[in-house]
This record gives sequence, C-alpha cells and structure tokens, in this order.
Amino acid sequence: MIEGHQGSYDRIKSKTSLKEILEVACSFESSARDFYRDLAPKVSKNIRWLAEELAAEEQCHYDLLRGLADHPDSVEQVAVEVQTPANNTRFSDAIHLPDLGPRPDDQAVLQYAMGREHIAMEHYQSLADGTAPGPIRDLFVYLANEETKHKAELEKLYYETVHSGGV
Amino acid sequence: MRDIDHQDRGGLLGPLKNLSFFARQPITEPLGPRPASANYRGFHLNDWDLCIGCSTCQKVCDNAAITMVKVPGLAEDPAKGIRNLRPAIDYGRCCWCALCVDLCPTGSIALSREYVHTCLDSELDSYFILPDARGIHGTPYPKGWAKSTDADLVALERQPMTEQAAAVRIENFAEIVAGYDANQALIEASRCVQCGMCHDACPTHMHAPEYIRAIWKGDLEGAVREIYRTNPFAHTCGRVCTHRCETACSVGHRGAPIAIRWLKRYAMDAVDHARVKQIAAEGRADFISGKRVAIVGAGPAGLTAAFDLVRQGHDVTVLEAQAQGGGMVRYGIPDYRMPADRLDRDLDIITSLGVKIRYNTRVGVDLTMERLQAEYDAVVLGVGLWMGRSTRVPGADQAGVKRAVDLLRAVAAGEPIEVPQSAVIIGGGNVAMDITRTLARLQQQRYGEVRITLTALEDLDHFLADADEIREAREEGVQILDARGPQEILMREGQVAGLRTWGVRSIFDPAGRFAPSYDPADEQIHPGDLVVEAIGQAADVNLLGEALTEALQWHRGRLQVDSQGRTNLEWLWAAGDMVRGPDVVSAVADGHRVADSIHAYLSVQEHAP
Ligand SMILES: Cc1cc2nc3c(=O)[nH]c(=O)nc-3n(C[C@H](O)[C@H](O)[C@H](O)COP(=O)(O)OP(=O)(O)OC[C@H]3O[C@@H](n4cnc5c(N)ncnc54)[C@H](O)[C@@H]3O)c2cc1C
Ligand code: SF4
Ligand code: SF4
Repeated sequence: MIEGHQGSYDRIKSKTSLKEILEVACSFESSARDFYRDLAPKVSKNIRWLAEELAAEEQCHYDLLRGLADHPDSVEQVAVEVQTPANNTRFSDAIHLPDLGPRPDDQAVLQYAMGREHIAMEHYQSLADGTAPGPIRDLFVYLANEETKHKAELEKLYYETVHSGGV
Repeated sequence: MRDIDHQDRGGLLGPLKNLSFFARQPITEPLGPRPASANYRGFHLNDWDLCIGCSTCQKVCDNAAITMVKVPGLAEDPAKGIRNLRPAIDYGRCCWCALCVDLCPTGSIALSREYVHTCLDSELDSYFILPDARGIHGTPYPKGWAKSTDADLVALERQPMTEQAAAVRIENFAEIVAGYDANQALIEASRCVQCGMCHDACPTHMHAPEYIRAIWKGDLEGAVREIYRTNPFAHTCGRVCTHRCETACSVGHRGAPIAIRWLKRYAMDAVDHARVKQIAAEGRADFISGKRVAIVGAGPAGLTAAFDLVRQGHDVTVLEAQAQGGGMVRYGIPDYRMPADRLDRDLDIITSLGVKIRYNTRVGVDLTMERLQAEYDAVVLGVGLWMGRSTRVPGADQAGVKRAVDLLRAVAAGEPIEVPQSAVIIGGGNVAMDITRTLARLQQQRYGEVRITLTALEDLDHFLADADEIREAREEGVQILDARGPQEILMREGQVAGLRTWGVRSIFDPAGRFAPSYDPADEQIHPGDLVVEAIGQAADVNLLGEALTEALQWHRGRLQVDSQGRTNLEWLWAAGDMVRGPDVVSAVADGHRVADSIHAYLSVQEHAP
C-alpha cells in the first residue's frame, strides 16, 4: 500500500482540474476502504472491529470527497475549510510502519492505519507546496488537512487501545 | 415559693398606681419576631451545595425528626459519595438539640435564628419542611447554632499508620505498613458516622459500616463475619484494595476519610485463622448439587466465583496456569505491599471450603476449552490481563527491553532475573510503580544504590499512579520524569543503553480524549541497561482457539458479556480484568455476579423435567 502511495502521488501530480484531483483522491480512499474490508476476515474476531471501523471511516472520507467531486460549488467549500487547518501534533513521527504480517494484532493494524494517513497527509502537503496559489493549491491543502484530522482521530483510538488495561 | 393568694384584691391605693403610666410614651411592639440570640437554635438551614445526602443527620436524630427525601434533578454519584437526598425536618418532633448540626460531616446543616412558624389548621403538614440555605420560609435569617470547632462531633484526623522509613524499606521486601494496634483501631472506628456512603461506592458493596461498628464494639469475629458476607479476598483487600469506599467517605469532605481498608486489615489479622475459616464456612449448603463448574484462572475473579459456587453446593475445579493461586495479586503486586503469606490465608480459606485448584495447567495448551465444555455444566473464564503492551518504538523488540508484568511475575515466582545497574521505566501507573520499586530494592541489595528513571507521558497531575506511590518511590531514590514520550530504545554494542524521549506538550485534546502531542525540540536521553515498558495490558485469549473465538461476541476487543457476566454462549461466563477490571475488588464483585448467574442457571437445569 505504501508503495502504491508513491505511484498515486505521481498520478495526482499529473492531474490539473479540481474534479480530476478529487476523483483520484476518492480512489485513494476507496482503495484504503477495500484494504481494510479485505483485512477484516483475515484478523482474529476479537480485533475485527478495528478493521471494520477503519473501513467504515475510509468510506466516510470517500463519501465526503465524492460529494465534493460531484458538486461544482466545492471549490468555495474547500477555501472555507482551508482557513482553519487541523493541527498536526507530529505524534506520527514516532510511528513506524510495521509490516502487516498474516495475523496482525490490534496495535499493528492501528500503527499501519496511522502511518498511512501520515503519508497521505505529507503527500498532499508537498503537492500543495509545489503548486502556485489558487484553487488547486487550496484543494491540496484541504486534502492534507483532512488526512491530518483522520490521523489525529486514529491517534486517540491508538492510545485508548494500547495504553489501557491494568492499574 | 410563697403561695399566691388569689382572693387578695390589693390595697385601697392600688388603682392610683396606674397614674404612674400617665406620662409615658406609648410602646408599639413590632408584629415580626425579635432577633434571637447569636447561638439560637431555630429552624434549620441546609446548604444544598454542601450537603451530600449522607443521612448522618437522620441517623443521629434521637427524635426521628428527620426523613431523607429524594430530590429529583440533584446530582447522584455513589463513587464520589453523593446522594440526591436531602433532610426534611418534622418540627412536631424536633427538640432543637442540634445534634444533626454537630455530627453533619460536611457542615452543610445549621440552625437559624428564626423561630416563628404559624399556620391554619388546614396547613398542619407545613411543620414537615425541607429546609434549604434560605431556611424554611425563604426569608434569609442568620445562622444561629452552626458547625464550630468546639461543638464538632466529627473527628477529622485519622489514626496515623506506622511505616518503615525509606532508608530501611529500600533494603527489604517486608510489608511497609505495620498496621493498627487495638487502641488505634478502636479510635479510628469511633470516627465513623455510619452513613453507608462507603457501602454504595464499593464495587462489591462491602458492609463497611457494620464491620467498623463491630470493631468499635470489640466484636472482631463479628467484623470478620461482616467482611465475609461480600469478600473472600479479605486479607488481600485489607492491604491493597483501591479503597473507593474511602473516596466516598462523608468524613473525607472536611477531614481525612476513615481508614476503612486498614480497619479491615486489622480485623482480619486480629482473628485467629482457624476461626476465620469457620466463619467463612457459615451458611454453606449442606447438600451436593451434583453440578460441575470449571473455572479458568485462580485470580480474585475466578476464586470468588468458586467460593460462592462451592458454598451453594456445586463441585468446582479451578484450572490455573501458574504454580500458585491468586493471579496478579501474587504475580503482580510486590510483597512489600501484599505479603504472600496473607494471600495464602485467603486461598487456604477458599480451598478449605472444597474448591479444587489444578495448578500448572494452562487451558489452551494442556487441555482445550472444548473439553471443558464437554465435561462441565458451566465454565467461567477469569484469565486477567497478562500480556504486557509495548510501545513498539524502534528497538522495543530487543532482549534488554521487558514488559513490567513479565518481570514482576518472574520476581514473584522466584525465578532468577538479571538485575540491571541502571534502568528506565516507561509508564505512569501503579504497575510502573510496582516494577520500579521492586527493581529499586533489587538494585539496592545487589549494588548498594538505586539508579532508576521513570518516564511517563502524563504530567504529574495526571499520573494514574497513587500519589503515595509516587512520593514513596521518590523517597526510595527513583527519578520520576513526567510528560516524556518514548521515541527510541538506544543501543550500544548490541546492548540496550537507554531511552530517547521527547517532551510532551499536552496529553488531552479539547474534548478530553487522551491525545499526546510531542515537542521534538525537547529531546532527552535516559541511560539504562534495561528498559521496562509498563504502558498497559491485554488479555491473552489464545486459549479460546479459532472456532470459539468466532462463535463468541466481542465488543471493541473485549469479550462481550451481559450484566451477569455471561457470554453469548449458554455454557460460558467471563469475569474480572479480562472483561471489566481494573482492580481486585471489582474482580471480586464480578466473581459474585457470575456465580449468582451460574447458580440460577444450574438450579433451573436441576428442576427441568
Ligand atoms: C503490578 C500490578 C499491581 C496491581 N496492584 C493492585 C492493587 O494495589 N490493588 C488492586 O485492587 N488491584 C491491583 N492490581 C490489579 C489486580 O491485581 C487485578 O485487577 C486482579 O488481580 C484481577 O483479577 P482476575 O481474577 O480478573 O485476574 P488475575 O488476577 O490476572 O488472574 C488471572 C489468572 O488466570 C490465570 N490464567 C491466565 N491464562 C490462563 C490459562 N490459559 N489457563 C489457566 N490459567 C490461566 C493466570 O495465571 C492468573 O492466575 C494490580 C495489577 C498489577 C498487574
Ligand atoms: S449529615 Fe449533613 S451532609 Fe449529611 S445529609 Fe445531613 S445535612 Fe446533608
Ligand atoms: S435538632 Fe435534634 S431533634 Fe431536631 S432534627 Fe436535629 S437532631 Fe433531630
């Protein structure tokens, strides 16, 4: 998946229209959703909720981007969102993507998901940095911002799951 | 006194006396009552914000003038010791003795300087009144008799507990506290106002007011009897209980809460062990039900369920992976807090009732769950949380990085461990404190000095560990660094050399969820030959096998059980840390719950045609 990101990065870089960019972004989200959906039956039932929740989460992201892609007024909406960027707390700097082996545990799945959001965030950010000011740049900033928000949510879930139990 | 002569009509000049009033100004007495004296005992005032509804006033009132009234909309929180009750006074009964004021633990109730209340015949019930801070008529009157140091009947200070000094205790694993002597226990017990807030707050609803009263009366066997009504881990809870009862204690609002845990410890130690055994066996069924129950795990949850079920006449076998029973109480909590010989006493009482424990038997390895299902009428899982979590920062998989629970288990089992000359602990909870202070003692014994750094994500105000643990660890020479996030295990020549951390900027998001954010510019290196992770634990559910794991319902990683601890499978229950947690007394409460549920199930089976 991570290698796939590099390819996606190149793909999205070559897109110029807002609609095209949003279409590619939608496809990222749907491929992530499918990844977690595929993962769910492969992991033990006691942690399946995580894969299912992540798939549902990606579906929500997909729905959001799909909505933007399908509506011509989306550019304005993006500009509004960009004014209030989510804070990247840099927690994920400490997260090291594990190899999701055949029977990952809950922590491995969460680390993977956080790493994935982190990479996506960085890619959108570098796309934004390399784009001249204007609606396209705004869109990249918006997408980076969305990924940052997703990552922040995952970090909380990570802490609630891993730093728990005992006294 | 001289008798009055009612026939006396006075002297001839008597009427002339009236002339002496002739030149005086008329005096008009106001219709309202005159102000009463400063300490007057008039109608009650009660500050509802201070009042916790503890009912102490009601209990102390000899005239039965007080009725506690439920006030909908007021806060109610048993864990914090708050009831939504407020005292209503029957002024047909009240004699204004003010005992309610003198014994009120919070000081919320007082008597005002208001003393007039009149009503028509049809309003006679207006003498039964729920006073608030504005008194009984809503007109503010100043306080008359109120809480004062002189008249306060609540003893605010706790009997001190003798403890080993830091320089002494760091050299040994002997229990730190000495316990109360008879006199201290009596004085401490006499502070209790018998409000019962502790009973409500305790997960297993221990009869603390009753056993404290029995101690006060010198009836120690009676105290043990009260303790055994709800808790077979009596010695254990007398020493290491998280004592939520004390958090809820009404006396704690102005002073130190009653030392309920230490009083339990006192009563349990004071009564001869053989006699405790007899008391614990009282009320045991004198028949055999013929039903067989298997319990996986000899921790507090499993053994409490076993205790109840044998008392109800069932045949109970406990399967335990370790060589001895007690679960984390033996293999987690260090001896200096929980001496093993006291845990042995709890276990001896449980097994003396007929509970059979098969040690060194790991379910899932030595025998399967399917076999238990086939051979027993009901099965309970009480396997605790024995898998230590790891930060999984780079290097966390090195041999020189250990999990706290694994190390504590090894020490408790008497297995040889390599004592590091310096160590770094990751974690700010009580488990982190236990491994830290255990290693500190081992270091002191081996090297004559303590070199341990404890790093935790939380700042000191948010540490999960008890404040006493933090203070005592510091006294023992441990360096505690708060608000540090682990980033990497450092290695030198293939050996662990320490931990790299970043400062933590904040740990909670605006919604209060745990979400640490780091400051990479604030980097520190903490040298250590050993790094111990104590960040959390999970249940090892591998014993279930794939088929059973699939058949069971789960909720966010934990086995899903109903309010009685039963899983979605008819024959299987689960209790203790693995489903609820987090402490011994909660595991005990859980054990009772599943035992009740199993007993009901087995009884129905018995009566089925
Ligand atoms: C270091 C530490 C300190 C603590 N300090 C306190 C404290 O001060 N006060 C407090 O109230 N609580 C404390 N606790 C928590 C307390 O110990 C637990 O809440 C309590 O022991 C939970 O009881 P339990 O029966 O659910 O599980 P446990 O006590 O964990 O017992 C589970 C039992 O199941 C056995 N088992 C596991 N798997 C299998 C298997 N497959 N087959 C057979 N047997 C198996 C284990 O060997 C163990 O004996 C502490 C915990 C730790 C780790
Ligand atoms: S004793 Fe005091 S705190 Fe308790 S219910 Fe009465 S008035 Fe309220
Ligand atoms: S003043 Fe005395 S009699 Fe009146 S309610 Fe209080 S305790 Fe009871």
